[in-house]
Order: sequence, then C-alpha cells, then structure tokens
Amino acid sequence: MSPGEVSLLMFGVFAVLIVVRIPVSFALGLACLPVLLIDNRLNPVVLISEMWKSYNSFILLSVPFFVLSANLMNAARITERLVTLARASVGHLPGGLGQINVVVSMLFAGVSGSSTAEAAGIGSLMIPAMKKQGYDTSFTVAITACAATMGVIIPPSILMVVWGGLMSVSIGAMFLAGVVPGVMIGLFLMGTVYVYAKVRRYPVAQRASAKEFFSALRGAILALITPAIIVGGIVGGFFTPTEASVIAVLYAAALGGVVYRTLGRKEFGAVLHESARLSAVSLFCIGTASAFGWLLAYYRVPQAFVGALSGWATGPISAGLLIALAFLIIGCFIDAIPAIIIMGTILLPLAQNAGMHPIHFALIGVISLAFGLVTPPYGLCLLIAASIGQIKVVATLKDVGIILTAMLLVLLLVIVFPELVLFLPRLIAPQFVD
Amino acid sequence: MTKFLAGYHRLLTTVLTVLMGLLIIPVTLQILSRYTGLIPRYIWTEEAARFCFVWIIMIGSMIAVRDRSHFDVDLLPHPKTPRQKGLAGLVVHLTMLVLAVVFIRYGYDFAKFGAIQSSEMSGINMLSIYIAFPLAGVTWALFLGENIAADVRLLRQPATESSA
Repeated sequence: MSPGEVSLLMFGVFAVLIVVRIPVSFALGLACLPVLLIDNRLNPVVLISEMWKSYNSFILLSVPFFVLSANLMNAARITERLVTLARASVGHLPGGLGQINVVVSMLFAGVSGSSTAEAAGIGSLMIPAMKKQGYDTSFTVAITACAATMGVIIPPSILMVVWGGLMSVSIGAMFLAGVVPGVMIGLFLMGTVYVYAKVRRYPVAQRASAKEFFSALRGAILALITPAIIVGGIVGGFFTPTEASVIAVLYAAALGGVVYRTLGRKEFGAVLHESARLSAVSLFCIGTASAFGWLLAYYRVPQAFVGALSGWATGPISAGLLIALAFLIIGCFIDAIPAIIIMGTILLPLAQNAGMHPIHFALIGVISLAFGLVTPPYGLCLLIAASIGQIKVVATLKDVGIILTAMLLVLLLVIVFPELVLFLPRLIAPQFVD
Repeated sequence: MTKFLAGYHRLLTTVLTVLMGLLIIPVTLQILSRYTGLIPRYIWTEEAARFCFVWIIMIGSMIAVRDRSHFDVDLLPHPKTPRQKGLAGLVVHLTMLVLAVVFIRYGYDFAKFGAIQSSEMSGINMLSIYIAFPLAGVTWALFLGENIAADVRLLRQPATESSA
C-alpha cells in the first residue's frame, strides 16, 4: 500500500470511530487493525508489542509521579497558600480575583507539571470565590481553564518530558525554554483580565500591606522552591527527570504530612489511587498511539507528507505556522500526549527540512497542544473548569475565544522569534542547546 | 455475576493503589544509593519500576472500562431516550469488544513468546509482565459484557416510559 492509502485508511477508520464515541485509546488501536490484517508482512501481535515497547520506558514513569505530586499539593492545601500569596501581590489590580487566578496558575505551573490537576485544584478554589463576587460564570470558567494551560508550558511539564523522551531532545533545555513563553502568556492573560474588569466593572480589592505580603510569602515559600529543586536538579545533572518527579512527590508528601500536617494517611491513599487511575487512562492511550505512529512510520507517511508540502513550507516561519496549525487541530480531538506521539513523528522531518532548532520545534508543539486543553470538543481543562462552575461548555466559548486570541499572539511571537525560547537555555545550559 | 464483577473491580482497584505506592520505592532507592552510599547500587531498581509501571497502565485500562472513564470525544448530540442510549451504548461497547478479542487472541501469542524469555537485569520470566496484555483482553471482555447487558436492558424498555 502507498503512504497515501495507508494514512487515508487509518485516519479514516479513526475518525469514524471517534464520531460514534468510541474512546480515543481504543479507536487508535482499532484503526491499526485493518492495515495489520491486510499486509502479509505484519500481524496484530505488532499492535501489542509496540504498546509494550512504549510502556517499557523509564522516562514515561515520571508522568504518574508529576500527576501525583500535583494532586498531593492540592490535597495538602498548598494551593490555598499560593492563592493567599497571589492575593497579597495582585489582588488590588482591576479584576482582583481574576488576576489572582492567573498569578496562582503561574505559581502552581512552576510547582507541578500537569494542567488538568491545575484546573481542578485552582478551579475548585477560585471559581466559587469569583462567582460569589459577581464575576460572570462564563468568564470565570474561561479564565481558569486558559490559565491552567500554563501548567504544561512553565516548567516542570509532563508534555516536555514525553517530547524529550520520544525525540531525544534535552528535557532540561526544554524546561528552561518554557519559562519565557509561559510568563508571557501569564502577562497577556493579566492584560485580558484588566480589559474585562474595566469593561464589565468587576470589583477591586484593597491593596495588601507589606506585612500581609511577607506573611503570605512565608506561608508559600517552601512550595515555591519546588521548581528550583526539580528544574535545577535536572539542568544541573543531579538527577534524571523521572528521579526529579519522585523527589517532587516525596517533597509534596513531606510538606503535607510533616511540615503543614494537612495530609493524613487516609487522604494519601485516596490521592494515590486517584492519581494512578487518571495517569493510567492517559498512559494507556500512549500505547495505542505509539502503535498507530509506528505503522505510519513503517509506511513512510512522514516522508511522503514532507514531500507533498515541500513546495510551500520550506522556511522556518511557514513551517512553524503549519506545525502549530496541525497541533492546534489535532489537539481539539485527542489528548496532548498521543498527539505528540502521532503528529510529532509526522512533523519532525518537516521541521528538520526547514532548518528549525529542535527546541524551537518542541516549544511550538507544546504551546499549541497546551491550547488544545481548552479547545472543544476535547478540551480537558475547559471540561473540568466548566463542571466546577456548573455551566455548559458551549456557554463559555465566546469568552474562551477572546482569551485564546490573546494567547495565540504569544504563539505567533514564538514562531516568528525563535530567540524568545532559545535565549534562556543558551544562557544557562548552552551544552544542551548547541 | 454483577457481584463477582464488582468484587473483581474492587480487587483491581486495590492492586492499582498498592502498585502506585510501590512504584515510588525503586526510584527512591536509586537516588539514595547514588548520593548516600548507605545502600548498595541495585541494578534491578529501574527494571522493577518499569515492570510495575506496565501493570499499573494495564490494570488502569481495565478499571476504566467498567467505570466508563476512558476519554471519548463529544461530536454528536447526546442520545436522549433510553432506546437511543441503549443503541449508542451497544455500538460503542461491541466495537470495543473487537479490540478485547484481538488482545485475547494475539495477546496469547505475545505471552507465549514471553514465556521463553527472561528479563535483562533481574532475570525474571517475561511471562509475568506479558500476561498483562491477554489478561486485559479478558477483563475488558467481562466488563464490556456487563455494559452490553445494560444496553440491551435499555433497548427493551417500552417506549412509553421514555417520555420522562
């Protein structure tokens, strides 16, 4: 079969199955079957052995640990401490609670690598509080979901770990590269909240005193050094990303269990179970996505794709735009990690062909996929925030669209100016970049 | 049968939680042995963690079939009447059953292949990990059977009750 026929068959079957609501992980596996049965050289055992190969990876092990550490932070009420700090720093700006929401998301993003844990943890604290103060529910939900996407852009980041493991890019360098675009998105979001607050006359709170600020800072400082431990430990070569993720778990457990005493044995068990379940479901999808990606590569679909586009996506900017568009579209329909596995491998030759830096390519991919966390029909952060706010997803779409436009501007800047992401890793860890 | 499946589901949930807790140990040992010298450098830690991890994923996939918590995508409008719900559920669960059958049939070949292999570091028989795949197929099929029975019950409901 030709690459065109294979991709048509596989993506066609996958699309049909998705429409009739077959779970994505099962649909990816089932979409491999026709090709595996038709081709004499292959058989369905390939599906299972490719899944096994993808799970048998030390790097992926960090995914459940990053989810676990984020959930421990929530259960140990460390998130509340971050909210107190955010309130003391930006609560007096127009749209106070909205600003707090964005800032606490940035802080939490630095502590955890999971956007969904962020949407759940911050959403359950901030959404009821904002509704009570008279913020529109749709704006409240939209800003919470959009701010949560910073979780996978500001280091540490589960998506960067998966990307680095799959495409052999330095994870430490990617973490450093995520800082600038992550903070830019935060500032753009704060600007958006400011405009909303002025137009809709949202309440303003009193400025916190210096004393209140320092007491809030003292309360949160132990949590705030987490990113230094994780990112510093990886960049400095002290431990691997997987080891760093376990240290994040142990640190969060120690903070909750020993220092703050907010985490009992019973809560710990419940968090352990919930994190295992949540990560297992998304990791299972990695297996079928890997088999899907392996088949595409076996029939040289990525090379054919580059050949077909060679006419017009040759420069780094046009290639960057195309890559972002592809990830934004697939991010609407499937989870970010399988999207990396399938589209990342298809688009890699295109990026190489255009002479893009591997870290620049990675950051465009991760940021685009982070936006996929709020785009329907499959936007997990938006689904979580909407269910906390008790509002239909459709009702939030206008506000999500407005806020997302501000965020897309950052993506565009990153595509056009690679130095935005490259300068920090070049400054701190040049050995990983060049 | 429902009682048996509920018990099996509880068992899987407990195993999953315990495995997740256990997973922390080998990686912690790895760090401790490198930096403290208090304990020797075990070479099996990484492998043990990886194998534990594979079981966590596969057990998680089994539990999620019964909980219906595998992610799907909302493109079509949601079915309203019990009949529509039963029909939509039947399409989903019968299609998923195809993959379960594939996992049982070809997972068996895969496990047989594992039975003649030992792992690189600790030398344990690979059947003990490969077996997770056919077992997943069997478990999915059991839980899907339960879902399909529920779909059929919905389909059989007289149309008059559906107005509620």
